[in-house]
Amino acid sequence: MTDCTLVEAVRLALNHAMAHDERVVILGEDVGIDGGVFRATDGLWQRFGGERVRDTPLSEAAIAGVSVGLATQGFRPVAEIQFMGFVYPAIDQMVNHASRMRTRTRGRLSCPMVLRVPYGGGIRAPEHHSESTEAMFAHIPGLRVVVPSSPRKAYGLLLAAIADPDPVVFLEPKRIYRSIKEPLDDDGEPLPLDRCFVLREGSDLSIVTWGAMTVEALAAAEQLAAEGVSAEVIDAATLKPVDVDGIVASVEKTGRCVVVHEAAKSCGVGAEIAASIMERAFLSLLAPVERVTGYDTVMPLPRLESHYLPDTPRIADAARRSLSYS
Amino acid sequence: MSELPLDPGATEDVGHFRVRRECFLDADGSVHGELPAFARDRSEVVGLYEAMLVTRAFDEKAVALQRTGRLGTFASSLGQEAVSVGVASAMGSDDVLVPSFRDQGAQLWRGVTMEELLLYWGGDERGSDFSGPRDDFPVNIPVASHVLHAAGVALAFKLRGEQRSAVCLFGDGATSKGDFYEALNLAGIWRLPAVFVINNNRWAISVPREAQTAAATLAQKAIAAGMEGVQVDGNDVFAVRHVVEAALARSASAPTLVEALTYRLGDHTTADDASRYRDDAQTSRHWKREPVARLKRYLTERFDWSKQEEEALLQSARERVEEAARRYLDMQALPATAMFDHLYEEPPKDVAIQRAEVAARSSQGERIDD
Amino acid sequence: MKDFCLPDLGEGLDEAEIISWHAGVGDHVVADQPLVSVETAKAIVEIPSPCSGHIAKRFGEPGDILKVGDPLVAFESGEREDAATVVGEIPAAPRAAPAVRRRARELGIDLAKITPTGIHGEITLHDLETGVAGLEQRGSVQLLRGPRRTMARNMAQARDQVVPATLHDDADVEHWTSDANPTICLAHGIAAACRAEPILNAWLDADRERLTIHHQVDLGIAVDTDQGLFVPVLRDIGNRADDDLRAGLERLETDVSARSIPPREMLGATITLSNFGMLGGRHAALVVLPPQVAILGAGRMAPRAVVANGEIVVHRLLPLSLTFDHRAVTGGEAARFLAAVKKALES
Repeated sequence: MTDCTLVEAVRLALNHAMAHDERVVILGEDVGIDGGVFRATDGLWQRFGGERVRDTPLSEAAIAGVSVGLATQGFRPVAEIQFMGFVYPAIDQMVNHASRMRTRTRGRLSCPMVLRVPYGGGIRAPEHHSESTEAMFAHIPGLRVVVPSSPRKAYGLLLAAIADPDPVVFLEPKRIYRSIKEPLDDDGEPLPLDRCFVLREGSDLSIVTWGAMTVEALAAAEQLAAEGVSAEVIDAATLKPVDVDGIVASVEKTGRCVVVHEAAKSCGVGAEIAASIMERAFLSLLAPVERVTGYDTVMPLPRLESHYLPDTPRIADAARRSLSYS
Repeated sequence: MSELPLDPGATEDVGHFRVRRECFLDADGSVHGELPAFARDRSEVVGLYEAMLVTRAFDEKAVALQRTGRLGTFASSLGQEAVSVGVASAMGSDDVLVPSFRDQGAQLWRGVTMEELLLYWGGDERGSDFSGPRDDFPVNIPVASHVLHAAGVALAFKLRGEQRSAVCLFGDGATSKGDFYEALNLAGIWRLPAVFVINNNRWAISVPREAQTAAATLAQKAIAAGMEGVQVDGNDVFAVRHVVEAALARSASAPTLVEALTYRLGDHTTADDASRYRDDAQTSRHWKREPVARLKRYLTERFDWSKQEEEALLQSARERVEEAARRYLDMQALPATAMFDHLYEEPPKDVAIQRAEVAARSSQGERIDD
Repeated sequence: MKDFCLPDLGEGLDEAEIISWHAGVGDHVVADQPLVSVETAKAIVEIPSPCSGHIAKRFGEPGDILKVGDPLVAFESGEREDAATVVGEIPAAPRAAPAVRRRARELGIDLAKITPTGIHGEITLHDLETGVAGLEQRGSVQLLRGPRRTMARNMAQARDQVVPATLHDDADVEHWTSDANPTICLAHGIAAACRAEPILNAWLDADRERLTIHHQVDLGIAVDTDQGLFVPVLRDIGNRADDDLRAGLERLETDVSARSIPPREMLGATITLSNFGMLGGRHAALVVLPPQVAILGAGRMAPRAVVANGEIVVHRLLPLSLTFDHRAVTGGEAARFLAAVKKALES
């Protein structure tokens, strides 16, 4: 067991998958000799060669479209889009083709591909490098959307995504690419998709979040504990489909919920979760579901970024608002 | 195209290109060059002729079904039968066809049944679950996005070291899309075993070829991707087949772009009225160049094609089409829950819950499509 | 309409609780006809109609508390009043979160009857538990009214003002005959002690820093009834003969039981006696009721072992407890007072 960062865990998972399944191939810009701009594929080109670890020309549509073709032929392509801000040319291929290949051919052809995309803000990056438009993908039937929140989650969930027979959009929160280290056993054990994870147990309030925001949420829970409030923190992990059962179980216990996401508020995945809680746990609610999110503005440039992103005080305030009811 | 006024002493020529066009069987009946072997074989030629006739009969029936409310919007390939039959007849059974939405001639040759095509255009997903060619792609409605799929399939063959090729069909409009360029670029740089065929029927709905691009030919777009682009008379089934065969033969080492020149004699689809944007005189002129009559004249002149044989072929084509239409019309509709099946390999919980809702509503007699 | 307001019913009484109506809306009453019975601090009073007329409106139901000056009834006048008013009354729907509503259903509570205390104007879980219906799940609920309400307020006021200290002693009453009335004996004892230490028979006005030492001893006597605590006053005990005192005491007890004792009979005590020993208990630290400065408690008379003439004998002892307000009375004064009581009882 060695200490691993999240991006190192991604690399370990890719390495393991490629070593054990010859159908797995990697493609993307600068993933080969350069090892990826975030070093997520570092060393893989050297180990597995340029046929299986393929640098592509600068063509996001091509990266996704070629992956669709490869996948129908039984390969397991793991394609990398360098930043979420550049994924949009690939959306056509994901929405019009990857998500539908199985259903439109009644299972004759399928599309077991993974689209890996570093995403999210908090790294003071230039324009377009801090996007969180996860809701665009989460809205598409036939896709899965998965967001790891720690090195172990990244390792286990990526292995599961690669093994999954259907297309997965794997969003890697680059803000915590290197800031969290965990001991990790390279044992090839996947984590379950479609399931949320309880990061911290509590009885007064459920905080539901994912990705880099789990760090802020856990810090808020600590702060609230000092005020005598026991907050449960849940990592949704899979945004499509959301583990509504798991979240509802928590809200039935606590009666209160705060959903936290970086992405803009309107039509974010938080709205989906709030609606699901209302449908399934209405009679358990002591307070309205709160959402702490990015604002409905374009992601600002670095100087204002910290005002945009949800932080521990905002989350704690929302928790206190929730607790002021009933 | 005029050139920049640069100083000739300071410049040197660093690039040229050539685009060749092949035609064996011209519209006026003349034969050029030495015909390929298959063109000198009566049964082969009859096979090509029959395939084109069947395609045309199928198209006619499909349009009739649409006009009588029993089929959805349909894109007829009237006038373009030689392209689809020529391309498909050049392919091996192991190769993979990645068609657009006007390539039923190729799909039928490859073993897709008429009922399957009718099911697809009639709005039933079972139409894409081909009983014949299991690896072929279904119809592609978004323009040009499938050219990338063909590149991906070709890459799969290359990675596995298989002697197979991907063949992609698309129209002149598709060559303006980014996906087209990206796919060609990839195929060129990765040397993918692919043949890209432009079905240049001169019209992208109402936009004529002249308004689509300033490039003199569409074939020359291959040059930019570092591969050869070749033109062919798309109404000469011999030329089409021959060029695609040649391209397939060398596809393991180099991809090819083939521009097949033809003409869309019908409307874009049954939802279009071409008389709004083009004049009948032009269409009439192109009827004189159409592929089926051309081949019939050759058959008659070269192989004594008889009236009886003609009648018999037409009759059998009609019967086949009628039989397929009957089977299609008698087919039981999919249950409402079918929309949830095959969405994922294993339906996740939220999908399963919704499927159960729909199942309950359907069993109570409420049909979703009422 | 003419309003008839709650009149002033007695010295210092500023509110009354409606016990029962004797006339209904629409009834015609004549002047002086009994209109309503109300209860002031410890007494029930009947209020007559001030005039003749038809009752148009009653401003309260039994159990409601009105302040002096509040409208009590309205009589119909001859003129037509302007009837324009807000059309109907739109009751606000109770605001409560889903989980609170579910709990209310489980408890069988009507949310309309609960007063919300949530900061968003909503009914909280706490409101359910502590609202009447919630409480009725736990036990029987009664509103504090009449003597219990008065007691709650007076005792709180006492705690806020008085600085209490308590002395205990026992009086040897072995010599008492069977017809001795302990209350009367205690009254004599208190009268004697007040002569010895008059400062315990006084009223303290702490705000004005003024002590009024009374000339006569008006003894408040704590009476326990099923309605609660009553403290009628036996006047001028220092100057009355035994049988007069006895008769006076009996009359007070009768009036208290009948709830017919006039309010003024319960005002003006200068010192108080609580003969709780009739029920049980020995010594106690009692509550001094301002403006008084002392209260004497007598516990249960019982035979005890005592030392007399160097020997242990069994005599009846009467436990005595004197609680005094140390703002006005010194320990020495209190000790001498209690010694005087004991001496009077033992003689």
